[in-house]
Amino acid sequence: MAEDFNTESMLDMYLFENGQLLEQLQETVLEQKDADCFDEDSINEIFRTMHTIKGSSGIMMFDNITAVSHKLEDVFFYLRESHPDNVPHVELVEHVLEVEDFISSEMEKIRNGDPVDGDASNIIADLDKFLNMIKNGGTEETAAAENVHEEPKHFYIAPVATSASRFYKIFIHFFPETEMANVHAYKTVYALKEIAEDILYSPEDILTDEKSGETIIKEGFRILLQAQCTEQEVRDMIGVGYDIEKVEVYECDANQFLLGFDFGDQSAPVSAAPEPPKIDLGDTAAEPEANKAETETKKPEEPKITPGDFVIQSKEPGKQKKLAKDKPKGEKASFISVNVSKMDQLMDLIGELVISESVVLQSSDLKVPGLNLDNFNKAAAQLASISTDLQNVIMSMRMVPLTNTFQKMNRIVFDVSRKLGKDIEFVMVGETTEVDKNIIEHISDPLMHLVRNAVDHGIETNEERVQSGKPDKGKVTLSARTEAGKVWISVEDNGKGLERDKILAKARKQGILEDNKPDAAYSDKEVYQFITLPGFSTNEQVTEYSGRGVGMDVVVQNIQAIGGALEIESNPGYGSIMSLKIPLTLAIIDGIVMEVGTSSFVMETGVIKQFIRVKEEMMIHEPNGDEFVMIRGDCFPVIRLGRWYGLEEYQESVEDGVMLILEVEDRKICLLVDKLVGEQEIVVKPIPSYIKKVRGLSGCTQLGDGSIALILDAPGLVE
Amino acid sequence: MKILLAEDDFATRKFMAGFLSKYGECDITVDGMEAVDAFMMALEDGEPYDLVCLDIMMPVMDGYQALMGIRNLEKQRNVPDDQAVKVIMTTALNEEKNVKMAFELGCTIYSGKPIDQERFEQAMKKLNLI
Repeated sequence: MAEDFNTESMLDMYLFENGQLLEQLQETVLEQKDADCFDEDSINEIFRTMHTIKGSSGIMMFDNITAVSHKLEDVFFYLRESHPDNVPHVELVEHVLEVEDFISSEMEKIRNGDPVDGDASNIIADLDKFLNMIKNGGTEETAAAENVHEEPKHFYIAPVATSASRFYKIFIHFFPETEMANVHAYKTVYALKEIAEDILYSPEDILTDEKSGETIIKEGFRILLQAQCTEQEVRDMIGVGYDIEKVEVYECDANQFLLGFDFGDQSAPVSAAPEPPKIDLGDTAAEPEANKAETETKKPEEPKITPGDFVIQSKEPGKQKKLAKDKPKGEKASFISVNVSKMDQLMDLIGELVISESVVLQSSDLKVPGLNLDNFNKAAAQLASISTDLQNVIMSMRMVPLTNTFQKMNRIVFDVSRKLGKDIEFVMVGETTEVDKNIIEHISDPLMHLVRNAVDHGIETNEERVQSGKPDKGKVTLSARTEAGKVWISVEDNGKGLERDKILAKARKQGILEDNKPDAAYSDKEVYQFITLPGFSTNEQVTEYSGRGVGMDVVVQNIQAIGGALEIESNPGYGSIMSLKIPLTLAIIDGIVMEVGTSSFVMETGVIKQFIRVKEEMMIHEPNGDEFVMIRGDCFPVIRLGRWYGLEEYQESVEDGVMLILEVEDRKICLLVDKLVGEQEIVVKPIPSYIKKVRGLSGCTQLGDGSIALILDAPGLVE
Repeated sequence: MKILLAEDDFATRKFMAGFLSKYGECDITVDGMEAVDAFMMALEDGEPYDLVCLDIMMPVMDGYQALMGIRNLEKQRNVPDDQAVKVIMTTALNEEKNVKMAFELGCTIYSGKPIDQERFEQAMKKLNLI
């Protein structure tokens, strides 16, 4: 939900706060859906949430929301006070989610300005029945304490949008020879007053001030008009006179009308051209703690208001009022909208800045022996520090954690699994991983599709699982991680996996396979990719959720649109993993630069655990060519980078080179390189598409001295 | 029902007077001070208003000050809470802090402008005014 919370209007606050509460509620409930019952803390939390929502909805007079929250509050009040046993937990969970859905959809109506007309009476009746059931089921030792509800004492009525009144800015230019232009202007105003609900004009004193005529000729006559007519009707009323050279009419909104003539730029037409898509920085600040440190655009101290601030000091014609507290026009907002293309430019520039910085700091001009560079180095360190901060802020402006997206999936798994009668556990890993906002928008739908597939097709029914001896709970794991400029998001299930033969058969039937190539010649990976072809499905039947064969190709398209790829792995009988590999739009990482032969490589600092010089006697050579090294009692496989990539002029002897110990997800290997050059911040650039993919390389970059270095991909090497 | 209206803008005043007069007899004032004076006059005459409708942005005294004035007058005369006049504030200001302050000072209904007539009636019903 990307909303604008630029103003702190009452309605926005209501929607925002309650929206947050509902999200939190859903999380809490889903976390405990498999428990026997809600724990003490959750009961209290749910009670408080419903109490708050009831209260604020009461003030806003959203009676249906108030009523349904009231009822659920009663249920949880009873749970809190009386601690009954044997509360049917799953049913209770469903009730809570039902209520939450109802309120969410009503709030959506409020957001859109639609009538808030949902009928909650069925839900309320169900809750009533439920409450009575658990009351009667319990022992009747003490009369349960009655939940006391206070009637709201205040009400807030949100303003209604007037669709009828429209606002126009009008500029009238008279011919320079026109005599008494002010009188002509007056006639125009008089004509417009017929239809005006409100009108103001500048210059104001057109009847008695003769100089106003000159002003009008020079600067034009300006009118702000509120009326219910169309632009054409306005033009018609102004008419065509021999004295009027040009009339410009722009429609504007109520706010601009109220601001009057007092702001600078009048000339920009306000209407219509659709604005380029904007990023609302408000979003990122509304996200939870993860982002707060970086994105907190320091909110200016909220000016406190006191009675007396709103006394009107002076009035201009029309609505323009100067208030006692001198409200600044164009109030300072805590959030601003930023044009996406500007953000892109900013990101590109920071990348270039980092490279430039390296060029400067590593300039060969500085390598004069005997030069005292103390002050220079201090300044350079300062520069580096500022540039790092700059990068962090810029990247964080666009980065948003995947948490919300993942949470949505949680709900989907729950719904679909309930409907299909399958017992499925949902696990999230790395949901705080942050990605560029643009990416989130593109992966949301594909992820939903993959998750649905996992639940619908992947995970078997409970009976099937029992039969094949699998644990009775199916599991869907959604995980995310970033590695050197890419983010990996995968949906893994422990279901029945993809059936290679079935897929091949279908592919053959659809004529996708080459006639001459036998089935066995296709690798698993190739076979699995067939399911992403449009219209491909091995389903005999189509279910409500999937099976029509129109999903996977759309998924792939969406992913490719952001430069990513879909990888499919599967283990028949054990499950499948669908992985989305998506490049982050800009990655600047700390890297260690190393040399092997005449080539330079960079590797992400975080992956390198240690550098060490080894002796020949620590090496173990297997007959098949594999090599290992013993370091402090542990044995690691060794890759000689020079040999691996067939480079020239590299160091043969392990004793002349440096051994790096790399760790990727608990697996360690050793990499032999010639020498280490240093640590540097590098801008990750993708390997150009005309170069074939090489295992172990994930990108390239430009070093400070201008040369190109290849970025090593640790996971690729480890495998 | 006796209603007191305070609104400085002519167009709005005309609209509000027309809108409110279907519920009762409507007295019109054009700034905060006049409103408080009118309120006091009615109190002293023994025919207090049932409903006061205040604009916020007004000359001389704003809506908040007028509200404070009215509540203070009632306190001075020991008017019990359930008989205190109901106050509706109407304004184009919609920020949370404005609404909060209004409620804190004793406002009963806060309505943004333009006024949602349906909800206005709904609120009046909830307060047993109509």
